[in-house]
Amino acid sequence: MDFTVPVPNVLGERLSGQDVRDQNVMACQAVANIVKSSLGPAGLDKMLIDDIGDVTITNDGATVLKMLDVEHPAAKILVGLSQLQDREVGDGTTSVVIVAGELLKRANDLVKSRMHPTLVISGFRLAMREACRFIKEKLAIEIDKLGRECLINCAKTSIASKMIGSESDFFAKLVTEAVLAVKTMSAEGVVRYPIKSINILKFHGESVKDSYLLDGYALNIGRSAQGMPTRVAPARIACLHFNLQRTKMQMGIQVSVTDPRALKKICQREADITKERIGKLLEAGANVVLTSKGIDDMSLKYFVEAGVIALRRVPKDDLRHVSKATAATMVSTFANMEGEETFDSSFLGYADEVVETSIAGCDVVLLKGTKNTNAVSLILRGANDFMLEEMERSLRDALHTVKSTLESNLVVAGGGAVEAALSMHLERLATSLESREQLAVAEFAESLMIIPKVLAVNAAKDATDLVSALRSCYHPTQVGADEQHLSSMGLDLSRGVVRNSFEAGVIEPAINKVKIMQFATEAAITILRIDDMIKLVGDRQEYEEE
Amino acid sequence: MHAPVLVLKDSLKRESGAKVHRANIQASKAVADIIRTTLGPRSMLKMLLDAAGGIVVTNDGNAILRELDLAHPAAKSMIELSRTQDEEVGDGTTSVIILAGELLHVAEAFIDKHYHPTVICRAYTKALEDSIAVLDKIAIPIDVNNRASMLGLVKSCIGTKFTSQFGNLIADLAIDATTTVGVDLGQGLREVDIKKYIKVEKIPGGQLEDSRVLRGVMFNKDVVAPGKMRRRILNPRIILLDCPLEYKKGENQTNAELVREEDWAILLKMEEEYIENICVQILKFKPDLVITEKGLSDLACHYLSKAGVSAIRRLRKTDNNRIARACGAVVVNRPDELQESDVGTGAGLFEVKKIGDEFFTFIVDCKDPKACSVLLRGASKDLLNEVERNLQDAMSVARNILKNPKLLPGGGATELTVSASLKQKSSSIEGVEKWPYEAAAVAFEAIPRTLAQNCGVNVIRTMTALQGKHASEENAWVGIDGNTGAIVDMREQQIWDSFNVKAQTFKTAIEAACMILRIDDIVSGIKKKQAPGAGPAPSKPKIEEEGDADGEQILPD
Repeated sequence: MDFTVPVPNVLGERLSGQDVRDQNVMACQAVANIVKSSLGPAGLDKMLIDDIGDVTITNDGATVLKMLDVEHPAAKILVGLSQLQDREVGDGTTSVVIVAGELLKRANDLVKSRMHPTLVISGFRLAMREACRFIKEKLAIEIDKLGRECLINCAKTSIASKMIGSESDFFAKLVTEAVLAVKTMSAEGVVRYPIKSINILKFHGESVKDSYLLDGYALNIGRSAQGMPTRVAPARIACLHFNLQRTKMQMGIQVSVTDPRALKKICQREADITKERIGKLLEAGANVVLTSKGIDDMSLKYFVEAGVIALRRVPKDDLRHVSKATAATMVSTFANMEGEETFDSSFLGYADEVVETSIAGCDVVLLKGTKNTNAVSLILRGANDFMLEEMERSLRDALHTVKSTLESNLVVAGGGAVEAALSMHLERLATSLESREQLAVAEFAESLMIIPKVLAVNAAKDATDLVSALRSCYHPTQVGADEQHLSSMGLDLSRGVVRNSFEAGVIEPAINKVKIMQFATEAAITILRIDDMIKLVGDRQEYEEE
Repeated sequence: MHAPVLVLKDSLKRESGAKVHRANIQASKAVADIIRTTLGPRSMLKMLLDAAGGIVVTNDGNAILRELDLAHPAAKSMIELSRTQDEEVGDGTTSVIILAGELLHVAEAFIDKHYHPTVICRAYTKALEDSIAVLDKIAIPIDVNNRASMLGLVKSCIGTKFTSQFGNLIADLAIDATTTVGVDLGQGLREVDIKKYIKVEKIPGGQLEDSRVLRGVMFNKDVVAPGKMRRRILNPRIILLDCPLEYKKGENQTNAELVREEDWAILLKMEEEYIENICVQILKFKPDLVITEKGLSDLACHYLSKAGVSAIRRLRKTDNNRIARACGAVVVNRPDELQESDVGTGAGLFEVKKIGDEFFTFIVDCKDPKACSVLLRGASKDLLNEVERNLQDAMSVARNILKNPKLLPGGGATELTVSASLKQKSSSIEGVEKWPYEAAAVAFEAIPRTLAQNCGVNVIRTMTALQGKHASEENAWVGIDGNTGAIVDMREQQIWDSFNVKAQTFKTAIEAACMILRIDDIVSGIKKKQAPGAGPAPSKPKIEEEGDADGEQILPD
């Protein structure tokens, strides 16, 4: 440049125009490349090591990106994107990042050829809306027509890409059973599947195939005293949030007395207050007491004598789930408005049975037949902790998938089928557009093909061959009267051919795909709109003073 | 204009692709190589110097690996395996590592040939399923009530250990202890809780042969007032407390402001009365022995000794629970709530004995002890530690058999049989999985091969002879005698392994191998904050073969 223009006086760097777009796109693609190799049934895992040396082995896109300390601001958007997908639908976290990365790359090329970003953006919006409509109207199939088999297949598709992929049949059944077991009907008659009431417990040892589903909510703690019964039925459960110990005043309170005999009375009273509280609990009919705080030896004795199972230091999350499942009210104090202490029996929750069993050498308390929602527990076994953690993540994904399948009731074919169908459809749409958005829509269509491409590459197949074979299935001349049949042609990655994904049982919930389209487009648009980046450095003087 | 785009922090180190596969396999093999020589009866001990300068002398796979401070993540996950195995079945900690190492070793060839790791994993999982089926086929049931066969079994399992030179001793101890605390769950199932109800007490001095299982419990305590209290009581009535026998202050902070002089006297008196009161409550039940987990004041001691009651204070909770189980007492918290049923009368003898220059309390000759102590004697502390580890292994073996009374031949015979039948099956497998499957079959031979190596015979000759024998189905019981290296029938030699251990070994090894194979990307140094005063360089397994190996590079520094 010939002369320098006085720039606004900011401490830091400033990038603008094409430079910043290039940089952002490059960063996003780098992120997409990181997770690329974990997509699909032939995807592999990543090993992440933090500075302490703790190891995480995972295949889940969201987990990988969360653990990676991504620094670039644009790349951070993509990380946030996969997190969003994880929260919303639980699965498809890898796909969403890959699609967004590809959209950005192609958009950047368009912009480079002198197309204004806003035009590209409106074209993408148009394409995205059309894609979502097309999925819902043309591609999706209601599961009512397909039955339970379809749920298992959904779970299987989700699990197939994970570490436990070789046992996908086994785990798919397990997951489906678990989700169906927690089915509940709300007051308005809406069926819900609260998968949070599925507790996942991990014990190392045995083999992954020895994992099983357990009826009842399992708490990974033993009963507080050996003298307590191991089984109570029917159980009336009290969920407490305070100590059952000798009563103690808050910090800093001193009691001064002049009469030495009063000291003894104070002592006595300390014990008696707790004793009375326990008495109230027992009077209300509680025979299982769970508290998130402690119970001291003195109080335990009363429970032992009354034949009550008492559990101390129950994790708060567990307590919350239990209170929800058993319709118990969590009580944090006995005090009532009159200044007295009461415990009403309506605070109690109900379960058919509470038993303590031993799983893999650990004592576990099971709550069976809970009143409100049925709770189940998945007991996972495996070679070591890394494996168990990855299993838990995989199963959570699968649980989410089954849940969203059941709740949205629509499924689509997997194995790249949806993407191929959409791509061809949008291409046709693009040619019918007169405006310049045509180009953007065409590029959008082209970007979707990245998913089948990556799938094929990961499986070490000839991507070019397979993808063109796949595209040919969706050509207008092929899509004739029997449109439904063709719209489910996908890739078979173990043999490297094109086949009907529906018949092969590779299916995904439609909501999953819709969200991928929406989130990926939104993220791409956000990044595309950026044309200036200013990175401020901290106020140096202030820093030095500190 | 093209400034480099930094997506990840530059502190992050990232490795991916085939390089990672190779580095992981190398690291796992290195771990397996460390403990390879500790397999079998002719095994060598390892001497480890820990950070604090203490020495550990052992040949227990888990104990060795636990002490190693490995930095490579794949190697770490191998160590976890050994721990899992130890917790689950307590034996086979060395085999599982060797097997997993070998499985990865044979997989390396396929990675080099550009096999997709998922294909190898699929084949391995299939091999696992088939091998468990084979185990089921060749296992033979055993009668757990037949002491002779149990003894033989336990003995053969710990035959590889240091204590095998002492004959039946450890096996006897293990069987006695586990049968004592075994609980019948009905339906022929027995549960044995080694952790809670069996305590191993090590007292240096004496001879190893003096070790025995007590019909009751013992602990390292003396009565509170020696001389005044009896040290030997026949058929004692025992009261167990977990509250202090001293003046208990309130939980709240209380101040007493004394204005008159008499009040002071009252205050002191009250404390005395409080103790007296408790003692009276206790004495009402005519105990001979009072044991508390907490403190016991001089005053209480006085009252008790006057009544001829022996007292022991500051006992551990776990010990107290064991006494409760042994003599049938209930641990009581408030002395004023004592009941007759809380008093333990099951013990036949209470005795305090002086061994060396320390006093030990014995509560023995219990009628129906549901908990016990194992008393180990020996020349030195290091020796006793190793004996204890062996005993733990032996007890786990005994427990496994009580839980699942099925046997498999030892001496590598099981692995050879599995290997032979998998090889046979591999010819009927379609597709590319055939080769990794066959390789898995070959990998099982690592166990007998290592056995042969460790006892110093000609490995190739022995292995080919064994393979030949196993080619026909009748010879499923032929293996290596780990002492002589001769090829023998395991049934005649009485060398057994329990079903649980073998099955668990196979499961853990194969699943872990699959997990490691599936990794294609390692990112390290996440959230780097330069650990303050990073410790001395971790001792890492040497990876010699690969000059450009990235094993070292990806170590977090």
